[in-house]
Amino acid sequence: MSIRYNIHTIWLAMLVLTLSTYIMGKLDFNGIIVTFILLLTVIIKAYFIINDYMELRGVSLLWRIIMFGWLWVICISIAITYIVSL
Amino acid sequence: MCEHIVKAEEPKLLPGDLAMWIFIFAELLVFGIAFIAYAITRAQNIDIFNQYQLTLNSEIGAANTLLLITASYFVVRAIHAIRLNNVKTCILWLYASLGCGTIFLLLKLLEYYDKFSHGINLSSNTFYMLYLSLTLFHFMHVILGMIILFAIVIKAQRGHYSAENYIGIETGASYWHMVDLVWIILFPLVYIIR
Repeated sequence: MSIRYNIHTIWLAMLVLTLSTYIMGKLDFNGIIVTFILLLTVIIKAYFIINDYMELRGVSLLWRIIMFGWLWVICISIAITYIVSL
Repeated sequence: MCEHIVKAEEPKLLPGDLAMWIFIFAELLVFGIAFIAYAITRAQNIDIFNQYQLTLNSEIGAANTLLLITASYFVVRAIHAIRLNNVKTCILWLYASLGCGTIFLLLKLLEYYDKFSHGINLSSNTFYMLYLSLTLFHFMHVILGMIILFAIVIKAQRGHYSAENYIGIETGASYWHMVDLVWIILFPLVYIIR
């Protein structure tokens, strides 16, 4: 890991992303674009956790497909239900 | 030399015990179905969900997210410490993680106390049923994760782990990260997205 991308900067980035999620909720931002931004935030944080905290970077493709497949299926399903409910 | 190159291209093994990973995948499947069920139910009851979501304490939800992310970070620090054969530091990081987990549980209990004292329960309405079911299910997983981490700390204090043998810590850490991963989706889904 580099000086800019390591477990410490990842932790800080996830804290910032969490605070941005909270602020968007507090300011009552809503709508499909906000939902997509929030889901993108979820995906970024989940990538950090799976790749760098769980240390699945570089493991067999099968395990990565299971983990990231799970993540994408959930996020896409949530996005579809929000689009349908508009 | 060719043999060396072939070995370098081989994928890494999963960290920790494979049995734990099977358990993690099963848990993720259950949570995944629950999240999708929540999203579908919300699409069918938007007014109720938008109205009662505003009664949730998003400050506690955000604080709990910060706590779980920090707890995961501490667990990673513990693994890095044991890889350097620094058992005492590893134990300290694990205790720090348990501390974050304890505060998470206390905040969650505070949140539940507030809801239950206002007469809210599983049968109040569809939103509260899903909110309580999802968060209580996750709450139990945090407790299980803490029990696993505590067992690891006890074993570490008894000298079971070293730089050559720390698969047990990796196994527990993987479960703890799963608990964090699930909450990362649960928090915006239930508390924020409208």
